[in-house]
Amino acid sequence: MPLINMPDFAGALLDDFLARGAARVDTPVIQPAAPFLDMAGEDLRRRIFLTESETGESLCLRPEFTIPVCLSHIETATGTPKRYAYLGEVFRQRREGGNEFYQAGIEDLGETATARADARAINDATGILHKLLPGRPLDVTLGDQAVFEAVVRALGLPSGWQKRLIQAFGDSAHLDQLLKTLASPQTAQGLDPAVETLLSSNDEAGLIAHLDHIMQNTGYSTNASRSPREIAARLKEKRALAQTRLDGAALLLLREFLSLELPLSEAAAALAGFADAAGLSLGAALARFEARTAALSDLGIDLSRITYRAAFGRPLDYYTGLVFEVAQAGEDAVLAGGGRFDRLLTLLGAKDPIPAVGFSLWLDRIELARAR
Amino acid sequence: MTITIGLPSKGRMKDDASAIFARAGLTITAVGNDRSYRGRVEGEDIEIAYLSASEISREIGNGTVDFGVTGEDLIREGLAEADKKVEIVARLGFGHADVIVAVPEIWLDVDTMADLSDVAQEFRARHGRRLAIATKYWRLTQQFFSRQHGIQLYRIVESLGATEGAPAAGQADIIVDITSTGSTLKANHLKILSDGVILRSEACLVRARKPEHEGNAKIADLVARVRATL
Repeated sequence: MPLINMPDFAGALLDDFLARGAARVDTPVIQPAAPFLDMAGEDLRRRIFLTESETGESLCLRPEFTIPVCLSHIETATGTPKRYAYLGEVFRQRREGGNEFYQAGIEDLGETATARADARAINDATGILHKLLPGRPLDVTLGDQAVFEAVVRALGLPSGWQKRLIQAFGDSAHLDQLLKTLASPQTAQGLDPAVETLLSSNDEAGLIAHLDHIMQNTGYSTNASRSPREIAARLKEKRALAQTRLDGAALLLLREFLSLELPLSEAAAALAGFADAAGLSLGAALARFEARTAALSDLGIDLSRITYRAAFGRPLDYYTGLVFEVAQAGEDAVLAGGGRFDRLLTLLGAKDPIPAVGFSLWLDRIELARAR
Repeated sequence: MTITIGLPSKGRMKDDASAIFARAGLTITAVGNDRSYRGRVEGEDIEIAYLSASEISREIGNGTVDFGVTGEDLIREGLAEADKKVEIVARLGFGHADVIVAVPEIWLDVDTMADLSDVAQEFRARHGRRLAIATKYWRLTQQFFSRQHGIQLYRIVESLGATEGAPAAGQADIIVDITSTGSTLKANHLKILSDGVILRSEACLVRARKPEHEGNAKIADLVARVRATL
């Protein structure tokens, strides 16, 4: 179906996808809304176009392709590895630009050689952009969720704090707020004396029985989502959290790490140096970072043109490793963005874990860039 | 220009609003009989439109009335970018109600929004669904949770009444609702989080930002007279 507003380079792009071994999939424009809201959170509701089916099911206009492509992969159960390509319209309420625009991209599902698959995603995205914008220098920014998680784990914080920091990765304001809290003492709220006694005497069974008793008496237990056991366990965890302060040195280390920004050609050595100097073991995360860097180098990519920024991430809990963005040198408009999302397929209902990496091209922005 | 003021059509809010205008020397009489939904101010070119409370914010936002008396909660919930569309010209000192986040009392481990964030984060893994919030305040909830506290993993369950009962009934885990004395919350074994006050609301005189109000002496006079009573 020829569409008048389809970018004129769409045909060339589809040929390029095919040459890169990715088979095109189509997904319906109208999608169930729940998976998008479940994965991205309630805030997305304001930015998508929602409607309802006659039977009351919440539906939306496709706001992006990754989730529909993954859902259709799970549904068709055709085995892995698979390389999917897509090109089509997506619909989002945006402050700037139109509400409907074209996106295209590749999702690489089930490739277990993850370093090579990561490198290939970056190589595909930059290769395609070089072809569409010949002669224009591109900037690639790269981040790694797994390295941040390894740093946080190595600092020896209680797991509750690790989870909070990891969840905030990529949201710099929120992360900053957490670091401030970690640096300053907190006072725990007073608890009922009976609970306090059970908690400080470490009588978990007693505490659970006590909570259960209150729930029964208040008529809350019939439909309670959180059980007495869950509440008791978190009371204990919270006590540990409140008593934790990150000592000055550890906080400085974390801030130092987050301020790292340097060419990828120097990043692996800098990370290893940072870990050594700090006495932290970054183990597998660093090894994977190095393997990915080597794989990029093998593909002939100029590593000095890629910037590693330690604080770069996306605050979505299904991203697990690589994240990257490509823009024209010296410009803000992101033309391509991607990353590794090994958790997404399981969250969407796949029975076995499926490693996944992919990227998406903003065709409207590429069109603008080509016109200039 | 005739000035139109939207007032609540019934209840305490109607009486309290009329009392304020009377103190400002603006006596409102009903057009026709007492049950009529139109009124006027004697001796002035001011008309009164009696509307349901939630419609007042919409009508001020549209500019179909020049002023309205309604709760700040309904203004901030009902209008996107409220401060661009309307101006709160006076806080009237009645109709106090706080929009709050309340959780079951038995959640002894949850006192703050940070605690709630931890719980929300693990909720899907533990219970196979997101934390559910019963509320009629979609916009205020989203702003407070998503933007102010960085909490994304929750789901809003619309609740148009008896919201305090939703957690015990299993419709939702927690609520966002208004409270004035907190007694209904207590009766339903809910507690307000220590930093869970989203908005301290009260009845306000609200003006639609219309260009024709600029430099209009009658508008300025009305605002000054109401403010003088407070």
